[in-house]
Amino acid sequence: MAVREAPSIEPEVAPDVRGPTAPLPATIFALGIAALVVIALGVVVSQLNYALSDRVLTPNCRQEQISPEDNGAIGVCNIVEALEDPLTTGALYLGIGLGVLALVLGASTYRRMDSKRRRDQAITGAVLGSQAVLLAIAILWFRSATPGLFAKHFLNFADLQGYGSAFVRGARNTLILAFAGEMGGIVIGLVLGILVLSQRRAVRAPARTYINFFRGTPLIWQLVTGYFLLLFGFGIRMSAFVVAIIVFALNTGAYAAEVFRAGIQSIERGQIEAARSLGMSYFQAMRYAIVPQAVRRVIPPLMNEFVILIKDTALVVVLGLTANEYDIFTTAREGQSATFNATFFTVAAIAYLIVTLPLIRLVNAAEKRLRSGLVGIAGAGG
Amino acid sequence: MTEPAGSAHARGAREPLVRLEDVHKWFGNLHVLKGVDLTMDQRDVVVVVGPSGGGKSTLLRCVSMLEVPTIGRVFFEDRDITDVRANLNEVRTHIGIVFQAYNLFPHMTTLRNVTLALEKVLDLPNDEAHDRAMDQLAKVGMGHKAGAFPGQLSGGQQQRVAIARALAMRPKVMLFDEVTSALDPELVGEVLEVMIRLAVEGMTMMVVTHEMGFAREVGTRMLFLDDGMVGEEGEPKEMFRNPKSDRLRQFLEKVL
Repeated sequence: MAVREAPSIEPEVAPDVRGPTAPLPATIFALGIAALVVIALGVVVSQLNYALSDRVLTPNCRQEQISPEDNGAIGVCNIVEALEDPLTTGALYLGIGLGVLALVLGASTYRRMDSKRRRDQAITGAVLGSQAVLLAIAILWFRSATPGLFAKHFLNFADLQGYGSAFVRGARNTLILAFAGEMGGIVIGLVLGILVLSQRRAVRAPARTYINFFRGTPLIWQLVTGYFLLLFGFGIRMSAFVVAIIVFALNTGAYAAEVFRAGIQSIERGQIEAARSLGMSYFQAMRYAIVPQAVRRVIPPLMNEFVILIKDTALVVVLGLTANEYDIFTTAREGQSATFNATFFTVAAIAYLIVTLPLIRLVNAAEKRLRSGLVGIAGAGG
Repeated sequence: MTEPAGSAHARGAREPLVRLEDVHKWFGNLHVLKGVDLTMDQRDVVVVVGPSGGGKSTLLRCVSMLEVPTIGRVFFEDRDITDVRANLNEVRTHIGIVFQAYNLFPHMTTLRNVTLALEKVLDLPNDEAHDRAMDQLAKVGMGHKAGAFPGQLSGGQQQRVAIARALAMRPKVMLFDEVTSALDPELVGEVLEVMIRLAVEGMTMMVVTHEMGFAREVGTRMLFLDDGMVGEEGEPKEMFRNPKSDRLRQFLEKVL
């Protein structure tokens, strides 16, 4: 205060503590990108180069136990040889060099960048550079062991010819299992979710027991036991496919119940009080005021459950499905046991991703929309 | 607490609309209401004031049994509604409540907020419910926003819709629980205006409020609730002019 009151002091200029501005932010950024691009291009180009030209089974490949009798042996050998190709090697080491350079330059200079944009460029360049280094090291490590053996079992697509329609059918069955299970689960879950919120312990306890049981035991156990319980216990002979749908619905119901419970509990207390104070019964209040609001909030977590269920349907592999009931995973298992080629599982993973990736994007979009929507609702409350 | 001499028990004149008898409320170990007696007659405007945490809102919520008294009884038109056999859903159709946080249903339009209970609780035909709701919305000056969602309205507008929603049930008594406390200062007036008109029209009201001007000018009776007990009770203007207890005097000094 005293300093401020002294009028004689000249207006001070803030001391410049920034130091000299660092150069080359864009260069660091470009180095990071270049490191990744060089590695990717080197690997992909040499792989394509080998794949698209006629080659023979090299002695190197024979050493890795790839024999000429193997179906698709040359294709597998090409993968191995392309990995050893000078083009790949050069790209990997060049990528490491560029990546280290970006990392060192970026890490040492980003603090001295004179704008946020330049600082971000330096940091991003360093991060990309370190990713390139890790990627190159992983590839070098992979090829230093026995990549031929791995490629022979997991990247040998020759045996998959003729299995296209089987996988399409598998994808359809997987979706039927998951969708039917999810729909049943949502109905069960809504009922259970309301029951576990009851004031009455006698109502709550069985619902809670059900939920804990299905959440607490492995789904694979539920599938097997459910099948035999129906068959031996109740004398009901049902197709394993239908049994699977029932078990998936029962299991998903337990998880959906928790989702609904949390969704209902997330609705402000004032909502049910307002409804009850208008003379509505508890169930009317639930039906008209609470559940419609809760449903909006539980859509993203329920979609998430659906994605999880799509993957969990793979467990039907333990049941005796008939050939036209095979899901993706069972299709792959059958193909693999017929050919001793695990590449079927590689394709299965791709098939699952084709189904799940769009759904995952949809969940994220729904979550984002709900978050922005909630702001509006919160504004209305306060 | 002694009951004030009044028309309440002048036999045959008229039954009290609401009567609370020695109401206690515990929340766990917290003794919030410590034996409150209260009667409300037709056309009474009972304003409840007092320091926060004194049990004002709890008392109001006991009147419609949103809070169940731990001890004591609540009568509505001489029916004991603390009796487990009482049909609370039916009783509540006669008791309108307006909350501090409005509590409109955010997924419904203004109009649907008002018609919902008319259709589902009073079983009115749709067109009759619609007409009654539009009529009530117009009365609070919200007829032009019938199609809007609560999130699109200001706090004052939402609160007026909430009042219309309660009034459309044609209740015999209206309870207002700090209905202007969440509002920006410039929006308080429009809500108080609606409440004043309601009082003038003869609605029986219980108003928990921090608006001392409203309490003094509109209240026919004032309750000073302090630490879960009725500290003082009487005619508002007289209580403002001449507080008998130290606690009320201190309270008034703080808020005025």
